[in-house]
This record gives sequence, structure tokens and C-alpha cells, in this order.
Amino acid sequence: MSSPESNVQQPPYEPKIIGFLCNWCSYAGADLAGTSRLSYPPNIRIVRVQCSGRVSPELVLKAFHEGADGVIVLGCHIGDCHYIDGNHRTSKRIPMLRQLLAYAGIEPDRLRLEWVSAAEGERFATIVKEFTETVRELGPIKRVMVTG
Amino acid sequence: MLEALRKKIQEIMPQVDGVIALRRVGKGTAPHLFLPGDDLSELALSPQFPLPTPVRIIQAKYPDKRFAVVVRGCDERQLVEMAKRRQIFLDKLTMIGVACTKEQAEYCRCEMPFPKQVDIGETVEGIPQTFLDDFLAKPREERLAFWKHAFAKCIKCYGCRNICPECFCKECVLEDNLWVTSGTVPPPFPMFHLIRAMHTVGKCVACGECERTCPADIPLTILYKLLKRDVETVFHYYAGADPNEPPLMDSTIFLADMDMLHPPRR
Repeated sequence: MSSPESNVQQPPYEPKIIGFLCNWCSYAGADLAGTSRLSYPPNIRIVRVQCSGRVSPELVLKAFHEGADGVIVLGCHIGDCHYIDGNHRTSKRIPMLRQLLAYAGIEPDRLRLEWVSAAEGERFATIVKEFTETVRELGPIKRVMVTG
Repeated sequence: MLEALRKKIQEIMPQVDGVIALRRVGKGTAPHLFLPGDDLSELALSPQFPLPTPVRIIQAKYPDKRFAVVVRGCDERQLVEMAKRRQIFLDKLTMIGVACTKEQAEYCRCEMPFPKQVDIGETVEGIPQTFLDDFLAKPREERLAFWKHAFAKCIKCYGCRNICPECFCKECVLEDNLWVTSGTVPPPFPMFHLIRAMHTVGKCVACGECERTCPADIPLTILYKLLKRDVETVFHYYAGADPNEPPLMDSTIFLADMDMLHPPRR
């Protein structure tokens, strides 16, 4: 007699992605992707932040710690920041955090930074598609956090 | 060297209200504020202790007084980074530069064992940072295992943060239950140590004091030195070099091309 579990198929792996989107450009860009009826993977869970410069390292690390397989930070293009130089900080902080992740032995490609304006709905959809595939290839973060 | 320092302090003493230096206490040393007329026989240079934090505390208490401080290369660079963030005031501070000896430089694996202006001692060359490349030659899984093993020893004493002259925040995220769960040892893997490493980017001068303080012998210097090297090569920002330069995060430097950084993927 087989146990009921043995008949249940494991669902295929779907990466969990947390996206930190700036309120002024990228969130509006995501909105545009939606209103334009563009489809993009549902793996991304969007968190709206006032500025991409607000995304502190502990936010990203906590997301990984809680089981996010990938984190993507989207902000205004350099020069377009609503707060003038908020994204200048992001442009230093996130690349440095990628370095740190790599040194600590976590794949740096699990974290990505891109600039998406309010007019770039299509670009948003493309980036999310691309990033979902990258993270799918890297596999679950559990493998990194639990074993090793 | 100690005799020369004593002489230099006696020379400077009439121009200042006090000299912050190390004093021999038992077998070790402790920071001490030498006042005019004080006996300098207990003055010491090693074992080392970072003096920037005592400078910050003393200057906060006596903002109008003028002090001198005995600095090694790392002390000077730390003071510059603190001055940029208004933690100490360089215009009310005279620095007495001491160059480290070859042994001290080797002990600290120091890249630059001398301050900009050397008053005491002879300048020796820095130690090449080959151990960083040795570390990066390891594959990713091995690096992960290395840090997991190292961080598993953490007893969360906060010694690394407390000794760090650049850790001067009144409220620390490492004490916030939201980011670092309280009541558990060791702290959950990526949280405690990686947060601290990120928070010191751009102000860490990689003095290695956190590693020397650590009772669990966590090799933190590797992490901090790697980040410092990236800040230097990519942003051309040299922590502690120029007091007139804005802090890295406040500067308008940005990465025009994200591909300038090549994190090790293997």
C-alpha cells in the first residue's frame, strides 16, 4: 500500500522574487506594463518604496534570509531621481552589496539593479522575464542558506 | 621610539590642553588623557588600541579645548572619516604621527603602516595583500562554507562593533529585533555580519581591529579588506585620504556602467 504522498507530484520549482520599485519611475513603469496588457512572470512580488535609495542592505539581506530566491531593485534613471541624488546612493550601495554577497559565497546574480522610467513598461516586462529566468537557473536559495 | 614620543609630547604640551595617548596598565595599555605637568613615564605605544573613539568622547565633552593625539596610520585615516561625518573636529586636534614598525605592520597585515605626517619612527613598506587573492581563488561553495563555519562561532558580543571607531551611530540596526533576532546565538547566517560589513563600506579603513577584538577569531578582515579594495578600484574613493572630500555615499560618484564591477561568480 503506497502512502498518499507518493502519488502527489512535486510542483515544478518557481522562483520567488522580491522587487523593490521606486514610487516615481519604476512603479509607474510597472503600472504601464499592466495597463498596456503586457504579460510578465508572476514570480515577482512588488514592494513599492519611495526611492530606490531607501533600499538598505538589511532589507535585501532580510529578503534572502526569509526565503526570496532573487531580489531586484528598480529605480529612476540617473539624473531623473525625484529626490535628486537618491539613486546615486543606490548605484553605489547595490553593486557593493553584490560584491559582498559574492565574497560571502552567495551568487551575486540573485540581486539585480536596473533603471526603469515611468514610460518603460515594455522594458520592465523584459527585465522581469530575464531576471526570473536567471533566478530559475540559480535554483532555490534554500540550497545556499541551509546547506553549504 | 618611546623616548622620542615623550620628547615630542613635552614639546607640544604647552600649545594644547591635553594629549590623548596610550598608558601602560598592568601588562596591557589603555587610552589616557595626559594633562600638562603629568608624569609621562607610563606612556606606551603597544599593544595598540584605536584612539579615535576616545578622541570623539573627549571632544564631545570639551568642545572648546584643543587636544593632541598620538596616531598610527589607521588612527589618522579613521579620524579623517569621522571628521567628514562631524564626529570629531580636526581643527581642534593636533596629530602626532607614529610610523609602525615592520613587526607591527606584519601583525596587522597593514597595507599602509604610516600616517601622512610621520613625527616618530621610520616608515616601513606595507604588506602585500596576497591573502585576499588566495581567498578569492576558492570556489563559491568553499567561500560559503568558510563563512558559515566562521559565523557559526559568533557569540554576538558586539565586540567588533564596539571597538570600531567608525561605528558611532546612536541607534544601531544590529540591536534591532527586526533585523537581528534577539536571544539567539549565533546570529542567523547572512544577517548580522553582512549588515555590519555593508554599513561600514566607504568609511572602513580596514584596520582589522574587529578581527583582533573578536573572541571567536572570525577572520573579518578578509571581508572588510575586499570591500575596501573594491571601493578604491571602482569608485576611486580612498577612505581617510582627504578630509575635504565628501563621504562616499554623499558624493555624486555613480557607476556609469554596471559592468565595471565583476563579482566572482564561480
